[in-house]
Amino acid sequence: MKKATSLLVIVLLFTSILSACSADKIPKNADGEEIVEINFFHRWPNEPRKSFYDQKIKEFMDENPNVKINVDAVLNDSYKEKIKVLISNNELPDIFSSWSDSFAQNLVTSDKIMSLNEIISSDEEWASKILESQYSGFTFDDITYGIPFTVDGKAFFYNKEIFEEHNISVPKTYDEFLKVLEDLQKAGFKEPLVEGLTNTWAISHYLGSIFQRVVDPEVLKKDYTDGTSEFTDTGYIKGLEMFKELTEYMGDVSTAIDHEAARNMFGNREVPILYMQFAEIKLIEDMSDMEIGFFDFPAVTDGNGNQTSLTGAPEGWMLSKNAPQEAIDFLKFLTSEETAFEFTETDGQLNAIEGAVTTENVSANSLAAYELILEATSTAPWFDNAVNINIADIFMRGGQELATGQTTPEDILKAVHQEVEKLKK
Amino acid sequence: MIFRKRQFIPTLFILPSILLLGVFIYFPLLQNFYNSFYDFTVFSQEKVYTGFANFKYLLEDKVVIAGLMNNVKYAVISVVFQVFFALILATILEDRLFRKVAPALRIIYFMPVMISISVIALLFGFIYNPQMGLLNSFLEAIGLGSVALPWLGNATTSIYAVIAMSQWQSIGFITMLFIVAIQKIPQELYEAADIDGAGKVRKFFNITIPQVKEAMFVNILITITGSMLVFNEPYILTNGGPGFSSTTLSVHMYQQGFVKDNMGYASAVATLIFILTAVFALIQIKVSGTGKDE
Repeated sequence: MKKATSLLVIVLLFTSILSACSADKIPKNADGEEIVEINFFHRWPNEPRKSFYDQKIKEFMDENPNVKINVDAVLNDSYKEKIKVLISNNELPDIFSSWSDSFAQNLVTSDKIMSLNEIISSDEEWASKILESQYSGFTFDDITYGIPFTVDGKAFFYNKEIFEEHNISVPKTYDEFLKVLEDLQKAGFKEPLVEGLTNTWAISHYLGSIFQRVVDPEVLKKDYTDGTSEFTDTGYIKGLEMFKELTEYMGDVSTAIDHEAARNMFGNREVPILYMQFAEIKLIEDMSDMEIGFFDFPAVTDGNGNQTSLTGAPEGWMLSKNAPQEAIDFLKFLTSEETAFEFTETDGQLNAIEGAVTTENVSANSLAAYELILEATSTAPWFDNAVNINIADIFMRGGQELATGQTTPEDILKAVHQEVEKLKK
Repeated sequence: MIFRKRQFIPTLFILPSILLLGVFIYFPLLQNFYNSFYDFTVFSQEKVYTGFANFKYLLEDKVVIAGLMNNVKYAVISVVFQVFFALILATILEDRLFRKVAPALRIIYFMPVMISISVIALLFGFIYNPQMGLLNSFLEAIGLGSVALPWLGNATTSIYAVIAMSQWQSIGFITMLFIVAIQKIPQELYEAADIDGAGKVRKFFNITIPQVKEAMFVNILITITGSMLVFNEPYILTNGGPGFSSTTLSVHMYQQGFVKDNMGYASAVATLIFILTAVFALIQIKVSGTGKDE
């Protein structure tokens, strides 16, 4: 019987340990209400957005004493990785930020994202404020999975003073653009253009815009769709050659710095031109009082692509399928007109909420950018969100290797073709 | 009664560790082998059996070769610096001449070991910065401005810049292990050598090295297997770039799994890493007879 007694002791011991782990009592607040915890995950551990969201979380918790919001934030590339890890561990946060298009679509295929159709149709007052045009990147098979919050676009920003000083005018075509870069070099700017190429997404923004200009839109559409992609158009070679051409003006520091360092160089007037998102306008304006202007990626005269489309896509919020009602309320709070207005005032990034971008909260430059986004006849999503990540990665890493002179456009496309074959299997 | 008391109680004592090892090491290891024969993503857990396709692709994958070469560079340089140089350092620190300052120096050399690798990587990111970094500023200050490079942005120097940081961090740890080994050498040997008129160099080669042979093998083992697994340093400093010039096998595995979503293939890379480290460990245990001494 000794064995039976000791076994019993062990079993009791184990169960008590296990139950101690799981039997957490539901915490209650001072009024005795049950506290609902919401996990909130965003991608801005940097200022000013981190403080902004911390402040909003505090406001929401003050209004709703029964809600406790746990927040976590990691930056861009790390965010893309961490959200995947969280999905695979079944630890998807209740509310989190997401890019549009293929990034969103990938998340949706996990079957763990909440459909927002009912939420949108049941709250007309809130939903009608959100710009209709920005939904498409979050809608798949007529089901909307994300609420667009920020809108963005990419353009070449230039230092107006330097342009005027050296009598340089804004280029209309790519050839004129090269001429401008030459002229700036002659004027003493060793690096007239700069980019932080350690950030592979920065390369993808360049390539995405270039391909828009040089590749037929129909071909692009086919190549960007999983399953039908081929990447056999000669435009891709030409596009990569153009990118290489541009990196030659960036100097060899570009592969060692990130986009933030590049932006600081532009803000400090060391470099006259930077390919930058509209979201960054305020950062530049806060850094220096120089006058800046911007122009869209110039038209490529012999390119087969769309010469006017704007690169840029919205970002928004998604909910996990199991998110509580409180998380939905928090989403509405985050995308309300007041929050959006304050957000753009603090951060400078333009938002997708009607009436929340006015002369009162943005500079003239940002307002011009906002109008450009609203009026754009066609927009192209970020390249790394538009194509399969395995293919995008070959282009992005290849872009780095082009800049360091280790590879050729032909080799990159060869690798792409191999990947396309592999993906077909 | 199947269990006698004598067998039952000891089993009970090792049960928790076996359970923990089983759940957290052996089971994931087996599952990894299993996963490497499938194709799946983190988004959907639906697994498609692909047989040896992942392993076949492993052989064709240029990045695997590049990563493996970088791991080998890591291992070779680490063995030279961390094992041989650390041994010399330890001998110097244990020398009578340094008796007064040795404790302070030991702390100085050991300090980097205690700092988190992320912090160190950020620090070295600053040192290597092409515009205002300490290294390039120093080179310019001593008139070597012409050799200043964007160390992490240059495809030929990036991996060496990453390796250099590792050496700086880890040498203190290995030195400490050697100091302990040297302190265990009986003083009589050195006294006898003194009487025979042996110099310091002679004593180093004829007494210290043979006496710390065991520790040396252990340290080589730690360094080489560590080099095969290295992830944090290249991941934080360069993310494997530019291109794939500073990618190691672990970074490649991580990127395949969590960036490109090829979990099956990432498992195959993990299997390769496991086999490599296991083989190295076996060879070294066999050659050195580690464990007999202790």
